[in-house]
Amino acid sequence: MSRFSRQTILPEFGQEGQEKLSRARVLVVGAGGLGCPVLLHLAAAGVGTIGIVDGDTISESNLNRQTLFGHQHTGRPKASTAAEVLKEKYPDLNFEVFSDFLNTNNALEIISSFDVIVDGTDNFGTRYLVNDACVLLNKPLVMGAIYKYEGQLMIFNYGSVALNYRDVYPNPPSENQIPNCAETGVLGVLPGIIGTLQASEVLKILSGVGKVLSEKILFFNLKNSSFYEVGIQPNTKGRENLPESEMDFKDRNYNINCGIAERINWETALDWALNMTNSILVDIRETGEKPLFEKEYLSRIPMGDIRENPESLSAYENILLCCASGQRSSQLAKELKQQFPEKKIFSVEGGILNPASPLNSNEYDT
Amino acid sequence: MEGLTVKAFGMIAEKLPEQEFKFPKKENTEELLASLYNEYPNLKDLDFSLAVNQQLIQQNTPLEGDEEIALLPPFSGG
Repeated sequence: MSRFSRQTILPEFGQEGQEKLSRARVLVVGAGGLGCPVLLHLAAAGVGTIGIVDGDTISESNLNRQTLFGHQHTGRPKASTAAEVLKEKYPDLNFEVFSDFLNTNNALEIISSFDVIVDGTDNFGTRYLVNDACVLLNKPLVMGAIYKYEGQLMIFNYGSVALNYRDVYPNPPSENQIPNCAETGVLGVLPGIIGTLQASEVLKILSGVGKVLSEKILFFNLKNSSFYEVGIQPNTKGRENLPESEMDFKDRNYNINCGIAERINWETALDWALNMTNSILVDIRETGEKPLFEKEYLSRIPMGDIRENPESLSAYENILLCCASGQRSSQLAKELKQQFPEKKIFSVEGGILNPASPLNSNEYDT
Repeated sequence: MEGLTVKAFGMIAEKLPEQEFKFPKKENTEELLASLYNEYPNLKDLDFSLAVNQQLIQQNTPLEGDEEIALLPPFSGG
């Protein structure tokens, strides 16, 4: 019996279905909790060419759900490692690796050469970016998303009424509603279920078997083992928010931060400030706040001045902000990230009052 | 028991005492939302879409009084 005999003997699927799979090109965006089961099932089923996009590396805390990876892979890039693991299992398949995060510069070019796109990303920014690119290029998009014990599954740009994510959610939610992406808990099996459903929809789209879940959102609740289906229709307001052209798409900013600013510890902050010429460590306390520090590694620019003139920091690639406790610097880091999405902007953990801070001393009067 | 059935998903459910509960009859979805916001002010901070009898709605929709209303936030995790 051949490798695919158990599916080719299905009357609806047959040899013909298998050939459709082997000719197909499927792009999986995000090789994480959702991406891993998607990739595993697409490859096992014999999808001929699989593209994998992910700019991240594997960490120990990924392993509860990112089932392609094991302990030995930690620290390695996700996209190429996923391709390597799958190539070893199925040497006849082709894998195209994109070890970058998708952005407005590379998205259209990467997406355009694939037949079906799978979204398994972990943030709203990339979700809207992938959605908008797929609308522009008219590519079927199989989107999965999870939150703690619940999941969503949606198929866009497919069928008689081509719907998209903005028909369901016209705009990304505001930043303060977004939990810290990295720290929201998830039971590993949940993305396993949603990702497997995504893979199943891809196989249906490619083979023509069954009825694809289009014009609907499917919710899954792991705690109740329940599914809930909701019908969707075109949303005029949502469609007005779509980019009008590829040019318009490339000019857009899809950077949406997690609700929490990126933080850096004092040791690294000092190292960067002292040794990297493109880094600046700024004490953002307002004029009059004491004590004053005169350190070669520290610049003093009050928060109010930075808000008025953020361009004063534009020469630096790494902007490290500190205040007394880390609260104001965290707020300002979020604001500056909007202004300079390409730069690395950090709030120094715990601020000057942090015991690890070289500026923390008894003279500091709270 | 008569009245609307409200079902909440994701982060919305965390702002409400129950994932699913009965709610007094309202004329339309705008009135329902106003009452929900009044009773559960935390909801105001969150974006969600609304479905009536498992169909997503985009504007104020009249209610008979026995519909199932779903509050559906977007999920971002992967």
